[in-house]
Order: sequence, then structure tokens, then C-alpha cells
Amino acid sequence: MSRGRPVAWAKRFALAILIIILFCVPVFLRNDYWLFVFCLAWINVLLASSLRTIYRTGELSLGQVGFMLLGAYSSALLSMRLGIPVWLTMLIGGLFAAGVALLLSYPMLRTKGVYFSVLTFLVAEIFRLAMWYMPSLSGGPAGLSKIPPPGTINLFGITSITFATKSNYYYLLAVVVLLSLLALFRVERSLGFTWMAIRQNDDLAESVGINVKGYKLVAFVVGCFFAGIAGGLFAHFMHLLTTDVTAMFGMLTSIYVAIYMVAGGEARVAGPIVGAVVLTLAPEVARPLKEYQPIVFGALVIFIMFFMRQGIIALPYYLRLWWGRAVAGQGRRLGEGGTTR
Amino acid sequence: MEIFGIPAASLVQSFINGLALGWIYILIAMGLSLVFGTMRILQFAHGEVYMLGAYAVYDFVVLHGLPFLVAMPLCMATGLILGLILERFFFRPLGGEFLPTIMIALGVMIVLQAMVTVGFGVTPKSIPSFAPHAVEVLGIRLGSDRLIAVTVSIALILLLYLFLKRTKLGLALTAAAQHREASLLMGINPTHMSVAAMAIGSVMASVAGGLMGSIFPINPVMGGTALIKGLIIIILGGMGSLPGVVVGGLILGFIDGVAPVVSGAATAAIAPLFIVTIILVLRPQGLFGHE
Amino acid sequence: MIGGDLPILETVGLTKHFGGLVAVVDLCLSVGRKEIFGLIGPNGAGKSTILNLIAGSLRPKSGRVVFNGEDVTDFAAHSRAGRGIARVFQANTVFPDVSVATNVRVGFHLHSGIGFWETFFGRKSATEGREKLLYEKTMEILRLVGLYEERDLAATSLPHASQRRLCLAIALAAEPSLLLLDEPVTGMTAEEVTTMLSVIRALRDEKGIGCVLVEHNMRAVMNVCDRIAVVNYGEKIAEGSAAEISEDPAVIEAYLGAEEDAV
Repeated sequence: MSRGRPVAWAKRFALAILIIILFCVPVFLRNDYWLFVFCLAWINVLLASSLRTIYRTGELSLGQVGFMLLGAYSSALLSMRLGIPVWLTMLIGGLFAAGVALLLSYPMLRTKGVYFSVLTFLVAEIFRLAMWYMPSLSGGPAGLSKIPPPGTINLFGITSITFATKSNYYYLLAVVVLLSLLALFRVERSLGFTWMAIRQNDDLAESVGINVKGYKLVAFVVGCFFAGIAGGLFAHFMHLLTTDVTAMFGMLTSIYVAIYMVAGGEARVAGPIVGAVVLTLAPEVARPLKEYQPIVFGALVIFIMFFMRQGIIALPYYLRLWWGRAVAGQGRRLGEGGTTR
Repeated sequence: MEIFGIPAASLVQSFINGLALGWIYILIAMGLSLVFGTMRILQFAHGEVYMLGAYAVYDFVVLHGLPFLVAMPLCMATGLILGLILERFFFRPLGGEFLPTIMIALGVMIVLQAMVTVGFGVTPKSIPSFAPHAVEVLGIRLGSDRLIAVTVSIALILLLYLFLKRTKLGLALTAAAQHREASLLMGINPTHMSVAAMAIGSVMASVAGGLMGSIFPINPVMGGTALIKGLIIIILGGMGSLPGVVVGGLILGFIDGVAPVVSGAATAAIAPLFIVTIILVLRPQGLFGHE
Repeated sequence: MIGGDLPILETVGLTKHFGGLVAVVDLCLSVGRKEIFGLIGPNGAGKSTILNLIAGSLRPKSGRVVFNGEDVTDFAAHSRAGRGIARVFQANTVFPDVSVATNVRVGFHLHSGIGFWETFFGRKSATEGREKLLYEKTMEILRLVGLYEERDLAATSLPHASQRRLCLAIALAAEPSLLLLDEPVTGMTAEEVTTMLSVIRALRDEKGIGCVLVEHNMRAVMNVCDRIAVVNYGEKIAEGSAAEISEDPAVIEAYLGAEEDAV
């Protein structure tokens, strides 16, 4: 049932204000390093949201990083070796990742649950290793460097925008990611109900005529497309790609992306967004702690899983809950009820 | 004599080396399989238990000068305590739910890795071998440390087998791993099973770490590789099947040992993963699993 | 055969093996339209496997499944559902985290009149109109099975028998011409059984929806089925009316031989 008109417009107004603030960040943030972190946050937002799209059907992909790799390298190599404009190569990168996802979907979607998750994890690792052992494409241990930024845009001869600077790239990221989120939101609005049915009981869904494999395929391909786009955005931002096991496309990143989604709160669209932002910025805030920083991060994740199962996005709910309990004088107990799926 | 252009002797040497490592990986995979079979969760922090076992031995032997024969039991104790803590305070409160358990295990993994990095630094450390000589049999060199490591591994696995087949707790554990609902109906307490599985699994993992650390240098991120190896083995052999773990481990050991020599590092790294993905798609229960 | 010349469902020589185990052997069934067809047999006789083969969640080793004159043997389960076969599973299979009404709404997936492309490009007002229509249809089905009062409750909060009726309601939303009912009255009290059976009869008489019914409750089966087939070890050993099969020596032997409690 639709809500009252005033509430809907208030929400849209708040969203608009938020977007304006986001676009003002480079203006206020003179520090180049923090701008860099914010840019990474945008990319993580897209990654976490792409993961959530796939998870709407009940399958947790631990291999988004693999499709990000496909998008990143195809975009980088096409622009560097064939001189194709970066705008186009980023798109091709996304399409390439989606294409590979489509090809692999037939075997991969035959698996479910933990098997699917492990499978995606391994497939991403295979992509990385394959790249590592093809130094002609990946640049070997030194990596692929000097990846060009997107070309300059000439605005009616009045002024031109280059993307070598972080602040301009920030705007690019903001625009692309926001458009992507809009697309994902649109897809979810159409297919989300059926995805929910599949996630809660796929046998039952199949028995009422829902083409479960087909719907899972759409979610998977769409999710991998945007992971590929994130990869392209990443490549032309960092100007360097490596396939070293401890680096960007390693197992740990896949895990981080899943953490962004779950810790942010996978039930709501905004969950992964909040999760990605908070968990990209928080470690940076904790950077002065140096080696202790991952301990803080890990502890935060554990805390959220125990006490805020629905995610950071549900913070208002939890604050009310804890306040209520504090007022009622009840003790805290480990573990928390909440939606499990 | 040459096979694939490589002298047979060095082929056999590589094969033996791979098998030796394989037994240590089997120890890791056994624990992972036991936990998965009993608790139905993928214990992502299992690799870190292994890593901590290695660092425990390093600490006892190098920093405190204790002899190996003392360090190893202490290492087992460390593993046991860690496993019990994880089960009681991290996994039990979650009730086995898929997503929260994975997240907690990942959080624990990150914290443990960071703690070791803080405590010991990120550069690899070496533990002086407890048996620096080598034995030569039929033209094949076998490091005594590897020989002992294999012997210890096999001994532990045999002990585990006897435990599972001959003791009441062991039989209950097997039953719980094979058919959870039926075992509940028979009055088997799932909490006791979880505790037992985590305890045994963690002890085996930490011993594996200690043994591995005596042969190779250790670093804080060694847990990740171990976890992947363990995953590969239990998928090959079948999740929840213990004979499958042995077979899977030997196959992996074979590939790990021989493939780099025969077809290069690329194949050696990718082939096991590739084989396992095929298995996951075509026969998710693995070679011996039942699901 | 009752109700028309062309059978709505036929299985021809259906065979299924699980590794070395032979589950179903050369099964030939013919179910007429608007017929309540019972499928009984001792435990492990292969009844659920047969339903799985008809519904499409299992593929046979050999043989064919013909629905409404069309060979659907190679069709996936969801395609068969699209052609009019709906299924009620043995255990209570519902969508756990949503309301009773939403559960039924999912069943309308195929007949929602909202095509795939329309969900992306259709105007919101058109979708809203259809949603209203579906809401009304949902309420109608809930009233039919007697769950109207519980429409906003969480599906899992319903007692067992009500969940069974919910499963039936979900299947009905798919607008089937044939229902596959796997133990619909198991675990119900005598009163609940009577209610369920009257719903099944009403579906046949008022809506023309027949069903294939697998049950262990013999009295229910004898009571409601037009014809019954008896299977043992995957083979059909008898077929006929309730009276006929209850006197069939092969049937009696199968049940006594399996020391089955046939009540």
C-alpha cells in the first residue's frame, strides 16, 4: 500500500539534500588523501550494492572481486593497447564481466547455498591466478601501470575537464555510481518481489511457475556487470593494477565486500551503501593505530554481528532498543533476535 | 629414464615431497570437515588456528628455548583453548545461522591475523628444524623433518579414526555429522558435538601449523593458503566424509608436488581450483560425500 | 474414466533409477479431467518420486509425461506449472518471512498479467491497477480455503493444518487445471481432515480442478477419490475404484507384507 504523499516527498527532499552534500565534498575536503579515501568509498559502495543484488535471490557471492578484475583489466588494456576512449572501455569492461558471468551462469547456478558461495570464491581466485600467470596482459609482479584516466571533456570550447585530479574523478565516480545505484534500484523494484520468493523458498517458487534459474541469472549477470563497472572505475582511478595475492583482487577483498553488505544491513537498499561508506572510512580514521587497525575493524564486524544483526542501517532501531532496555533496567544478553534472511 | 622429459627420479622426488605436505594439509582439512559435518558451518577462522599453532611453536622454541617435545603439546593445548573459546563465545550464540556465522568467522580471522602481525611482525620467521638431517632411500632424499611430520600426521589421523569408531563420543560425532536430525532424535546433544568437533579440529589444525612451521618459514597470512587447501580437499573428498579427506589430500598433494615440475607453476596453482569448481558443479558431494 | 474423453494427465512407461536403486518402473497412469485420483502404497513405494516426475523436479530415465495432450517430459518444473500443473509439497512449504496474503500473491506470478518487460517500462498506474485486481483474487482464494481471517499473519505462525491449507491456496493461485497433493491431510485431526476433503471436492465440483492425491490416511482416500492406483516397489499393482482395490489380493498382500499400518 502506498504511503501518504507528504512522507514520500520528504524522503525525496532528504535524498536530494544528501546528494548535494556529497557533491560538495571535494570543495570542503582539501586533503588529497581523504579525497582518495572517499573515492574508494564510492567504488566500494558500487561493489557492495552489486553483491546485494545477487544476494536478493538468496545466494551469497564471495567472488565479486573476480568480476571486478575482469572489468578493470579489460577496460585498462583496451584503452592502453587499442586507444579506445576510457568512457567506452569502462562500459565494455562491465559488459565483459557480465558476459563472462552469463557464460558461467549455467554451471554456477546449478549450485546453491554454501556450495555456490565457495564456488564464487574459487572462481574469483582462478581469475586472479590466470591473470597472474599471463604477465603479457597483467604486467607480471610489477603490475599494469600508467593506466590513463578518462579523456578530457571539452565543454563547448569554454572550459575543459580533465580527470587527472582526484576531485574531478570524485565527481565522475559520484555520477556513475549514483546512476548505477538508480539502475539497481529500478531493477529491484521490478524483480525484487519474485527474488524474495526465490530466496525464501526456491522449490515452492518453481512450483508456481517462477523460472528460478532465469531470475537468478538476471540477478547474477546484473550484479557482475556492476562489479565490472566498479573495476573499470577503479583501474582508471588507481592507474595501476596488480594481481598479487595480498593486493586488491585477493581473497580478502571479496570478504570485505561481503562484510560491507552484511554489516551495513542487507535487507535495505541503503544498507550496503552505509556499510561500504562506514567501513571504508572507519579504518582510515583508525589509521593512526597502524597495525592495530585491522583489530579494530574485525572487532567492529564481530560487534555488529552480535548486537546489530540487521546492520548499521538499523542503528536508530537499535538505539531505541538499547535505550528502552536501559530504562527498563534489564541486563544485556549476547545474541539478538532479528530477521535471519 | 624420463617421463615427460623429466628424469623419473626427480619426478618421484617431487611426488614424495608433495605427498609429505599433503598429510599436513589432511590434518587441516580433517578439522574443517569435522566442523562442517557436525556444525554445518564453514569455519573461516580455521586457517588462523593453524597459523597460531605455527606461531605458538615459534614462540616456545625460538623465544623461550623450549625443546620441541615440550613445544608441541603446548601447541596442541593452545589450539584446544582457542577452539573452545571460538565455539563457546563466537559460534554457539549464533545458533548456526549461515550469514552471521560466516561474518563472525571472518571477523575473528581478521582480528587474529592482525594480532599476530602486531605481536610478531610481518616478516617471515623460521623455526629451526627439529631434525635437520635427511634420509636417502632408493635415490630419493627425504628430509627427516618431513618424515617425522608425516609420521605424526598419520598417527594423529589414525588416533582420530580410532576415536570416531571406538569411543561413544566418537560414534556420536560420526552420527551427528552424517545425519543431523536423526542424531538429535537419538538424544545426542548438539552442543556437546559442536564442542567436540571444534576442540578436535582446532587441535589438529594447530599441530599442522606447528609441523609446517618446522619445515617452512611462517608468516601471519599463511592461514589463508591453508584454508584454501583445506577447502579444496574437503570438496574433492566430500564435505563431512573423513576417508574422503584422506583421498582428497593425497590427490592435492600429488598435484602440488608433481604439477610444478611437469607443467609449471601456473598449472600447479590453477589446476586444483579448476578441478574443484568442476566437482562443485557436477557432484557437489565430492568423491565420498553424502548429501 | 470420468469427465471428458481426453485424460488431463498421462504417464507412459515412466521409469526412474537412483543409482542402483529402481524407484519407479514402467508406470502408466491416466488421470481424467475433474477427477480426484488417489495414489497409495506402502512406505517407500515410490509415490513421492512419481509426483516429482509428474511435476518435473525429477527427470525420468525413460518414459513420457503427457499433460493436456502435450508431451512435457523435457519441460522444467516451472514450465509445467505454467501449463497448469500445481503442486502441494509433503512438508509445509511456505514463504516463511511474509504474510499469508503475500504467500498467495506469489502464486499469482504467472497470471498477474504483468509481463517481464512491463515490470521495467510499464507505467506505475497500470501496475497498481493490476495489483489491486490480484489483491482481490488473493482474498477470494483465502476465503475459499478458509484463511481469510489470518491473511495478515506471518505464514509460520499458523498451526499445521492451516499451513496445509495455505500451501493449497498458493497452488491454487497459479490457476492450475490439475493439482498434485502430497499427503494433504497428514497430521490433521478428523475434523480438519473433513474440512480439507470438502475443499478438495469443492475444487473439483465448482472449479473443475482435479488432482492426483498421495496419502497414507486410508479412510480419507477411500472417501474422496474417484479412482485409486496402488503402487509397490515402484510398480503399479492395482487400479480402480475404492471398492475394487480394497478387495484386490495383490493390494492386501502388499500392505500386509510390508506390515504397514493402513489406517
